[in-house]
Amino acid sequence: MVRRILLVEDSELISSGLRILLESRGYEVTIAASAAAAIEWSGETAPDLVLLDLTLPDADGLEVIEGLSQRGIRPRAVVALTGHADAATRERCAVAGCDAVLVKPVPVQELLRIVSDKVA
Amino acid sequence: MPEGADTLVAGRTAQARIALLESEIAEAQVLIGELRDRDLLKTQFLSNISHDLRTPLTAIITHAEILREGILGDVTPKQRESISVIITGGRQLLDMIAEILMHARDSSEPSTLVESEFSVQELVEQVTTLNESLVARKGLVLERRLSPEVPPVRADRDKVIHVLTNLLGNAFEFTPPGGSVWVSAARSPDDPARFVLLEVGDTGLGIAQDHHELIFREFAQVDSSASRVHHGTGLGLTIARRFVELHGGRIWLESELGRGSRFFFTLPIRPDH
Repeated sequence: MVRRILLVEDSELISSGLRILLESRGYEVTIAASAAAAIEWSGETAPDLVLLDLTLPDADGLEVIEGLSQRGIRPRAVVALTGHADAATRERCAVAGCDAVLVKPVPVQELLRIVSDKVA
Repeated sequence: MPEGADTLVAGRTAQARIALLESEIAEAQVLIGELRDRDLLKTQFLSNISHDLRTPLTAIITHAEILREGILGDVTPKQRESISVIITGGRQLLDMIAEILMHARDSSEPSTLVESEFSVQELVEQVTTLNESLVARKGLVLERRLSPEVPPVRADRDKVIHVLTNLLGNAFEFTPPGGSVWVSAARSPDDPARFVLLEVGDTGLGIAQDHHELIFREFAQVDSSASRVHHGTGLGLTIARRFVELHGGRIWLESELGRGSRFFFTLPIRPDH
């Protein structure tokens, strides 16, 4: 079964690389460039994984989790992407329901391994 | 000078002079305020630009890794070597941007400590393990000399990791292949009840005595010895000192040119230990 990933990232420079990477492993990738676009996820069922940039133009990335949840959409896993993961950020992510926090640029093999673990 | 000018000056009352001084003080205060605002603006600019530099750099590194891993097709060993240089250079640049950003943030809103209690041994293990592949690649020996009686400390874990990583990074950079780098931790001989003393030492190039204070200063780089070609921001040790002092600790070094360097810093022991 094809696993679906919702990639929430406002920079096309970043999302283009992640898309290539994830599609190379057979994942189906939908890109949302804002929190609003992410919350409007149009799939019939929840994505298997949400890869979530924490700094979005219209909101704190973590608000996407709450927004999706209000629409009854609960992804199997949420992985946060950030440029700076100090203890406070990790704590905030854990409280909001993230399963992992990765620091950009995530080494590609590490990203693929974590994505594969989380959607398995 | 027309006659009477002297008389005019002399005739000014003391009150008038005071008024003049007061207005000068007021002007100076306005000027200080303006300078502070400008300094803040510059810091904010530095912070914004550092943040914005990260995005394209992240994209460059990710795409280079995609190429290197052969995800878009086979690459020859020569091509892989060349792509690896792009990635290494990109990651170095990213580290420097992180330092500038950290320094800019700290200048505009001084850092506060997020304290917890943790084992120094575990922290040293964690940081040194992360560096094992670099150590092997550079042909160095890395030793951990941890006294089993080191008590836990109460400190900001992220900041201590930063200090240790920075000191180790310098040691690796300035120690030629075949040399040794070590980390030790024990109760501070000067104040064993209150502080733990950590040391990062190396058998590397060493630092001349008259540079011992300079290297902790903002943007300072020591390159006059000609043997040291440093390409960092010159902020690493400034930030390290700032973080150690925030804990009430102290950081210093013992070194001579050609005789290696030993950097020391202290951290407060967890109360009741």
